[in-house]
Amino acid sequence: MMILQSQIASILLNGLQQGAIYALLGIGLTIILGTMEFLNLAHGALYLVGAYTGLIVFQETALTNGLLYNSGITSIGFEGGFLAAIVLVPIVGFAVGLLMERFVAEPFYDRPETDQLLVTFGLALILEETVKNVIGGNTFQSIAPSTVFGVNVSQPVSLPLVGLFPSWRLIIIGFAFAVIGLTYLAIERTDFGLVVQAGTRDSEMVRLLGIKINRSYSLVFALGAALAAFAGLIGASIQTVSPQIGTTQALVPAFLTIVVGGAGSVRGAIAGGLVLGVILSAMTQTYSQWAQIVLYLFVALMLIFRPEGLFGTAEVGE
Amino acid sequence: MSSDPAERTDDADADAAAGTPPEGSEAAADAAAAERAAAAKGGDHLLSIEDVDAYYGQSHILRDLSLHVEEGEICALLGRNGAGKTTTLRSIAGARPPDVRDGVVRLKGEAITDRSTEDVSSLGISLVPEERRVFPNLTVAENLHLSDVARNWSNVVGRAISMDHPGMTTEEVYEVFPRLRERASQKAGTLSGGEQQMLAIARALKQDTDLLMLDEPYEGLAPQIIQTVEDAVERIADMGTTILIVEQNAVAAMNVADRAYVIDQGAIVFAGDSEELRDDETTRERYLGV
Repeated sequence: MMILQSQIASILLNGLQQGAIYALLGIGLTIILGTMEFLNLAHGALYLVGAYTGLIVFQETALTNGLLYNSGITSIGFEGGFLAAIVLVPIVGFAVGLLMERFVAEPFYDRPETDQLLVTFGLALILEETVKNVIGGNTFQSIAPSTVFGVNVSQPVSLPLVGLFPSWRLIIIGFAFAVIGLTYLAIERTDFGLVVQAGTRDSEMVRLLGIKINRSYSLVFALGAALAAFAGLIGASIQTVSPQIGTTQALVPAFLTIVVGGAGSVRGAIAGGLVLGVILSAMTQTYSQWAQIVLYLFVALMLIFRPEGLFGTAEVGE
Repeated sequence: MSSDPAERTDDADADAAAGTPPEGSEAAADAAAAERAAAAKGGDHLLSIEDVDAYYGQSHILRDLSLHVEEGEICALLGRNGAGKTTTLRSIAGARPPDVRDGVVRLKGEAITDRSTEDVSSLGISLVPEERRVFPNLTVAENLHLSDVARNWSNVVGRAISMDHPGMTTEEVYEVFPRLRERASQKAGTLSGGEQQMLAIARALKQDTDLLMLDEPYEGLAPQIIQTVEDAVERIADMGTTILIVEQNAVAAMNVADRAYVIDQGAIVFAGDSEELRDDETTRERYLGV
């Protein structure tokens, strides 16, 4: 009995971490799809950018080698490359998102969806190949912080029911949900969020009310990109990093998430991400070879029996 | 829509080719002449549309259409399904499509044809579109608050043209539609059709509106709800807001309107007082089926 309980607790904890990644990816994809009616297949590439930026920042700010070490800055007590990455990665993602919106997405807003798919998928491939050429196609070990806020987090902590669990992963889960929570509040409690919510349903009606929603587009796009990059950093802390992760670990799961949650719904992206995360974690810890099959089967069943998702409506941008 | 010549009258067909309004009836000729005279007077009208041609893709929908709306009146635009009523409102509102390729839309004499949808709205033209289009995922109060957001976010635009009718406060809107106060914290998607229509009108009233355009506000509503909405429209008109109302239900519209236009095949075929239209059996039977 205790074994079963501890297994369930462990599944939930791991599911939370994986689910947080899916939710972060799904929120960005769903608000961009909803407000701009823009299908962004390069969304996974932003995850890739986040993971590699995290990797680089993490390495260059480490205490024993890298940029900071070589320039002697470590003597002023800057430690915890992961904290630096947590600040820098979303900023890089935000900047890349702004550029992407301005130069790739914006010219394609009024084009057919197939054109949007082609151009963003092309961009995803270009970014992936660029990473391969510049950094290399080899696989990097996941990055795990040893200290956070000066506290040693490399030792596992003993949790009730779960047993030993890496303490830094608890902290990462905490960070992820703090970001998800802030995003949720921004969408639910601010005028900007109200406009985004309205825009996900009927952006023309928002404009008919006299609201310049186009100005919000670049901000929405950049925020979505920052969240995806942040998800990449979280992902890089638990999984190996290679140029393919943008597609396999990010783009496809992000679409699954909004299928489950409902296109255009932030609440749905959070719920959908967590549901998928827990399913994946449960299968991985029990019948891991069936994990992917069960995951896709679940999404297929959702499409058949509840095509509008948990929180969405069948139509987007009507 | 009008790509099939067999569906049109011979007169209209020939006129469309020549690029002039149809003159299928004497009333149509009068209507066109009256509009030209009105247009010649210039900026006297709150709104004027002059010789507008609008397209959906390759389909030529509005053909050399002209009409005007005077300050303080209720003006009705009547016509059958597919006659071009909604296209006319969308052309005024700056919504695209349609693509307005020729002609000009003026608000208080100033051309607004090429302005964006949000600019036209900020300049004082509110459209309550067909199907209400309230935001179903937001509460009634949030739907109404969006109009405040619009005002807070609009800065430079709208200065060129003075705003004679500042928007109502939420409190004032609730006085017009007490039902909305009761439903304030309810999601708009859970409202009845009539309540959604009230909400759609209410949020337009919260905007700084000189001209309120209503697209088939009675469509799909139960008779007693139609009465409520009709009363509200009259109250709004009494407060001095100019209204352009589009209807398929000609009888309902003629009850509230001071003046009416009849549109057919994308061109005006009648212009005159509501009484004139009531007396003009030929036009009514031919273009409105009543």
